[in-house]
This record gives sequence, structure tokens and C-alpha cells, in this order.
Amino acid sequence: MDNAIELAGVEWQAGKSFSLNQLDLNVPTGSIYGFLGPNGSGKTSTIRLLLGMTKPLAGRIRVLGMELPGRLPNVLRRVGYVPERPHVYPALTVAEQLRCHASFFPSWDRRWADDLTERLGLDTDRKIARLSKGETGKLLMLLALAQRPALLVLDEPTDGLDPVVRRDVLGAVLDYVAETNATVFISSHLVHELERICDWVGVMDHGRLLAELPMQQFKNGIKRIQVHGAPEVPLEPPFTILTREPTNGLGARETWIVRGWESPMRAYFDDVGAEVHDVIDLDLEESFVELLRSARPSDPQEG
Amino acid sequence: MFHDVDPRSPTPLYEQIAARVRMAIAAGDLSSGDALPSTRQLAQQLRINPATVVQAYRDLASDGFVQTRHGQGTFVLDVPGLVRDEERRARATHLVRKLLQDAARLGLVVQDLTEALEAETGVKTRG
Repeated sequence: MDNAIELAGVEWQAGKSFSLNQLDLNVPTGSIYGFLGPNGSGKTSTIRLLLGMTKPLAGRIRVLGMELPGRLPNVLRRVGYVPERPHVYPALTVAEQLRCHASFFPSWDRRWADDLTERLGLDTDRKIARLSKGETGKLLMLLALAQRPALLVLDEPTDGLDPVVRRDVLGAVLDYVAETNATVFISSHLVHELERICDWVGVMDHGRLLAELPMQQFKNGIKRIQVHGAPEVPLEPPFTILTREPTNGLGARETWIVRGWESPMRAYFDDVGAEVHDVIDLDLEESFVELLRSARPSDPQEG
Repeated sequence: MFHDVDPRSPTPLYEQIAARVRMAIAAGDLSSGDALPSTRQLAQQLRINPATVVQAYRDLASDGFVQTRHGQGTFVLDVPGLVRDEERRARATHLVRKLLQDAARLGLVVQDLTEALEAETGVKTRG
């Protein structure tokens, strides 16, 4: 099984305004896959599809090598899920919630659950209604981990948590991955966090997948280039030009944002009689923002 | 040793980690037989993907700097002085290249840099 998650040609519609169009997604087994996208881009809808919480209009979904919806129960048994909104019962205590959750998962690791409870500093006697946001976040991660999943699906798992709690929660995930080589599919808009831990990225916008590739390739392929004297209509470049703007106050100088860059491509500018002043590296956040900006040329104001 | 590993840098994290270990060996901070942190420990400490640490250690092993013994950990090998010198030179070259790049962006020339270097260290670089 090469891919822990495979979506092929998935179509999905929510009301009149939002749809997923021809969505293909491939999450390699053993990867930590960062699923990036602005709010409302379709990240949560995609997650609901791959957990069988809603059905596609067309297309194929396979999770852990098993076809949906037919083998959904087998899939769910091996997937740990941290939803965007807590799915725990406010009236239960932490201990009761743990017991309740454990009863659904034959693979539940009681000793490890106890261990994590202590490590994350959760009070098992406390009612869930009385937990802080950070404590709830820890509890959700604990529930997902203690069932020893082959695949962890995390939907904005650290959104709204303070930095200390975020560190504890992600630390527990990394520990688990080091031990088991499980696949992690993590949706977030906290780009810096993903930059540290992910080895693959997928970028969503308006229900479309704009890019899917290894993190390093994604980051290193997008550059900001200062060019002097480039022709107005560029001859087929070996890279993709995302944007091209005059550099403020520097005469005929232009700033190009390009995708699919490799350093030998500098030769292209010699061939068209232009001069490269500088090739500037972008971090993940800048790459992400530039990619989204170029995908929405008609209306940059649109959220 | 790993405190300045920077996830935002275009240099892949595994390369940064491997480079720091090689440099520590070259500088004598790590010597033959010393244990590197476990994959799990280092991933926790840096909050990075454990696979990244595995890859860094694998590269170090294939370059002959460390040896991973199954179930025991990763240990520094006895690295010849020649290789250590080479590593120091490689690091220095790397730093200077980066410095020159940054300087070019700011419109500084080699002369400016040399003067600054002399002023900082108090050592004349030329006769």
C-alpha cells in the first residue's frame, strides 16, 4: 500500500455555493502530510469525505488500501480523528469519556492512555464541561492516539490553543510517529507549525487542489526573482510564472514569482536577454500566500 | 548543537542536522564513541518529523561519520583528521558564500567586508 489516502476524481456539492471539483489526493504511507488552505477552501469537507461522514457525487476514495463506503467500518477502526470541533460529551468526566471511547476500539492501549493522561496533565475526575480549551485539545488528541491508529486525521488540531499546549499535543503525535511509522494527515492554517513537521504538502483553494508535492520541493520550487530587462511577452520559460510586477522605484526592474524553479534555469534569462539580479528563497508561508494569490487573479479581494 | 536549526531555511532540515553533527565532530565537540540523541529524542526536542532525523543519521552513516547499531543507537566513528579539516573548510566556504550573497543584496563589496572583518577580529588579513 503506497498511499494511506487516495482520492480520485472526487466531486462533492454543498448547497449552491460550494463544491469540490475533480479532487485527486494522494497521501503517501508513513508521511506527515500538511493539508493547507484558507478557511472555507474545502479542507474539512475533504476530511469528512474520507471518513465517510458524507458521500461524494462521483469519484473514488480509498483509505488504508480499503475502498469507501464498502469497508468504512474497517477503515474507522484504524483511523484516529481529531475533529475541528470537539465531539466529546460535556456531562462525562475525563475518565468516563476515555472508557466510552475505548469501547469502540479493540486496539485501545489502556496503559498508554494512562501514560498520556499523566504526561498531558489531565485530571480524570474532572467533567469535560469544566475543561479549558487547552485541556479539551489534549483530551481529543489523547483519544485519537490511544486507539493506536495506522492513520491520524487531524483537523486544525491546535487551532486556538496556546503555544505550550500546542507543543505538548504535537509532541505526543511526533512520539507516536517515531514509534509506529503511522501516517499523519493534518489540516491547518498555522503554516509555521506544518513547516517543521510535514514532509508532504497539499494546498487547497476554492475546492480545488492547487499543489501536492514533497515539502522540500514545494518550498524550494517557488522563488522571488529580481529581473532586469525581460521581454514583455516571455518566451516559453521552463518554470511557471505565478506573478510578474514592476519592482517599486527601481526602473525597468521586475519582480517575478515563479514555480517549479531549479537553479540551472537562470540560463533562460540569458537567452531572452534579461539579467537576473537576485533569486530569493521563500519560506512555506510566503510560498503558500503567493500560490493562492496567483490562483485568484480576477479578484484579489475575495476571501 | 542543534539550537539554530531553522525550519524556514531553504536548506532541508536533514541537511542542517547532518551538517551540525559533522561540524561538532570536526571541532572535536563530539568524539569517537559518543552517542547521538535518539531519533525520538531529537524529533521531540526540535519538534520535527522523526523521519527527518532518520534521514540525517542515514546520510551521516553513509559518509562514514557515525554508525547506527540496531536497537542501541547512533554513535560517532573515529573520523580521520584529514576529513575533519575538509569539513571545517567546507563549512567556512559555505558561510562565506552566504555572506557574499547577503552583501551583494546590500550593495557591499569585498573591501567593505574585509575591513569589517579586520575591525571585528583585530587581525589584519592582508600585509
